[in-house]
Amino acid sequence: MRVLIIEDEEKTADYLHRGLTEQGYAVDLARDGIEGLHLGLENDYAVIILDVMLPGLDGFGVLRALRARKQTPVIMLTAREQVDDRIRGLREGADDYLGKPFSFLELVARLQALTRRSGGHEPVQIGIADLWIDLISRKATRAGLRLDLTAKEFSLLSVLARRQGEILSKTSIAEMVWDINFDSDANVVEVAIKRLRAKLDGPFEQKLLHTIRGMGYVLESRSAD
Amino acid sequence: MRINSIAVRLSAMFALVALVVFLLIGWALYLQVEKSLGLLPEAEVEARYSVLESAITRYGNPEHWAKINAKLKQLGEEDKRIRFWVVSDNPTYEFGNPSPEIRAFAKGPLGMRDLKQADDQYPFKVLISQFPAKEQRPPLRFLIAIDTETFWQTQHSLMIALISLAAIGILLASALGYWAARIGLRPLASLSLEAQKLAPPKLTGRLQLSPLPPELNQFVTSFNSTLERVEQAYSRLESFNADVAHELRSPLTNLIGQTQVALTRGRSAEHYFEVLQSNLEELERLRSIINDMLFLASADQGSKATELTCASLAEEVATTLDYLDFILEDADVQVHVSGDASVPIEKAHLRRALINLLHNAVQHTQPGQVIRVDIQTEADHVRIGVANPGAEIASEHLPMLFERFYRVDASRSNSGANHGLGLAIVKAIALMHGGTVFVHSEQGINTFGINLPA
Repeated sequence: MRVLIIEDEEKTADYLHRGLTEQGYAVDLARDGIEGLHLGLENDYAVIILDVMLPGLDGFGVLRALRARKQTPVIMLTAREQVDDRIRGLREGADDYLGKPFSFLELVARLQALTRRSGGHEPVQIGIADLWIDLISRKATRAGLRLDLTAKEFSLLSVLARRQGEILSKTSIAEMVWDINFDSDANVVEVAIKRLRAKLDGPFEQKLLHTIRGMGYVLESRSAD
Repeated sequence: MRINSIAVRLSAMFALVALVVFLLIGWALYLQVEKSLGLLPEAEVEARYSVLESAITRYGNPEHWAKINAKLKQLGEEDKRIRFWVVSDNPTYEFGNPSPEIRAFAKGPLGMRDLKQADDQYPFKVLISQFPAKEQRPPLRFLIAIDTETFWQTQHSLMIALISLAAIGILLASALGYWAARIGLRPLASLSLEAQKLAPPKLTGRLQLSPLPPELNQFVTSFNSTLERVEQAYSRLESFNADVAHELRSPLTNLIGQTQVALTRGRSAEHYFEVLQSNLEELERLRSIINDMLFLASADQGSKATELTCASLAEEVATTLDYLDFILEDADVQVHVSGDASVPIEKAHLRRALINLLHNAVQHTQPGQVIRVDIQTEADHVRIGVANPGAEIASEHLPMLFERFYRVDASRSNSGANHGLGLAIVKAIALMHGGTVFVHSEQGINTFGINLPA
C-alpha cells in the first residue's frame, strides 16, 4: 500500500518513513508543499500524511489544491493543538487529524482505520494458539476451558484479538473499549489489562498478553518464549 | 497637538462659549446704542427749534427778519451738520435758497421727517414747522435739518469695534482656556506617569488617592482593583511557569541521564532496548503534560465548547462510572448517583471532567466507603457535586485546589500520570461551558463539583 508523507521537519519525516516502511507501506516523502502537491496529484496513494506548517505552500493550500482534483484520504498533522485548525482542516476535506505531539502507534492506527474502511468482513471467531474467541456468543475458551470474563474484560480481549500481533496503545484501547478518546489521570487500561491477564494467562504456561513498555499491549502467540 | 487631546477640546469649547456670549452681548449692546443714536439727531434739531421758535414767531417786519437771517446764517456756519430753510410766498422772507425739491418737501406734512437727497449717502433728519403770518411777513414754513452721516458713522465704527473685540475675546478665551485646561489636567499627567512605573514585574505598587482631585477617585480605585487582579494573575502565571519547568525537568533529567549512561560504553541490544523503553515512558509523560497544558492554554484563550448536545448528566456519570469500574472495584469504593438533568454539553469534555472529579474522589476515599454524586437543578444552573468522606481540607487551600499544579501536601509524591492538572482541567472544561467550579469541606465530607448553565 502506497502512502505519501509531506513533512519538512527532517527527524519527523525520517522516522515516519522508516516506521511506515517497516509496517509494510511503500512510502514516498516530500519535503515541501509544492513537491508534495505535485506527487499527490501525479500518483495514486492510499493515504497522504500532510503536515500543516510547510515551506512554499502550507498544508491547507496543498489540501485545497489536491481536493480540487482528487479524493485521496488525508491525515493532517499540526504542531498547534488549535481547535480552529482542526475544524478548518476537516472542513476543507481532511479525513483525519493528529495534533503534535502524537504517538506513532496512534498514527498507524488512524492510517489503518482509513485504509480498512472500505474492505473486509469482521471475523466471527478468532483463534490464537489455544485461545478460542467466539465474537457472536461472546465466549472465550483456552485449552477447552471456558474463561469467566466480565463484559468489559471480554470487550478488551476482543479488541486485542481482532488486532492480534499489533501493539495497541493505552489511548487507542480506551477509545475502542470505553469510547474515551483523551488521556486521563486514571490508569483504567492498566488495571483492566491486569485483570484480563490474571484470567487469560494466569493458569497457563504460554503467555499471550504482552506488555510493551511505554507503548502498549499486544496479544499474540510467541512460540519462541 | 492632537485633535482629540482633552486640552485642545476644552479650549475649542471655551472659544465656542466665548463666541456665543460675545454675540449675544454685542448684539444687545448694538441694538441699544442704535436706538439711542437714532434719537440724537431729533433731539439736536428740536433743541435748535426751541431756541429759534419764539424769535420767528415774534418778529414780522423786514429789519427784524434780517436779524433772524443773520442768526440762521451764523448758526449754519457754526455747525456744518445743520441746515436751515425758510420757505414762503415772499422771497424776502426766505432763507437757504430752497431748491424746488426742498420747496416740494416743505409743503408736505409737518413734524419730524427724513429727507433723502440724490447726492447724499445718508438722509437728513428734518423738522418741518409752520408759522402763521405776522405784520408784513406772510405765513412760512421753517425747516431745520441735520445731516445724520456722523451718527451713522459712529454706529458703524461701534459695530467694527464690537466685532474686533469679540474676535480678540474669543482668541483670548481659547488660548487661556488651553492653558487652564493644561493646568487642570496636570493631576492626570502625573497619574499616568505614576501608572507607567507600575509595569511588570513591579506590580506591587498602587496609585495614591490622597493628592488627587475627587473626580479621579473612582478611576484610581477601579484601576487599583484591576491592578490587584492583574498582579494575582501574574504571580499565578509566574508560579505556573516555575511549576511547568519543574514538572518537565524530572522526566528530562531521566531521559538525558539514562541515555548518556547507556551511550558511555558498548551495551547489549537488550540493554539498549531497556533504555529506549524507559525513555519512551518518560516521553509519554512529557507528551501527556504538554497535551494537558495545550488544552488549558486553549481554554485560557477563551476557546468554548462547540459541539454541544443536550444530554442527560446521569447518563454521562453512568458512562464515566462504567469506565472507572475496575478502579472503583480495586479501591473497594462504591458510588451512589442521585438526581438528573439535561443540559447542553460537549460530551467528550464533560466526561473528561467527570473522570477527573471521580478519580480525585476515589484517590481520597478509604476502602469500604461511599462516594455520592448529586445532580441538582438550581435557579439558572445545574450543579454536579462529587462528595467523598475524607479528612477536612484546611480552608486556606480551598480556593486554590482548582489551580494548576496545586497540591495541599507539597511533599506528596508525583506518581504516574497524575501530574497535578486534573482539577485545573475540570475548571477549564467548566469555563468552556460557561460554568464554574466549587469545593466544600464540611463535617468529614469533601465535595468537588461544577455548575453548568441550564
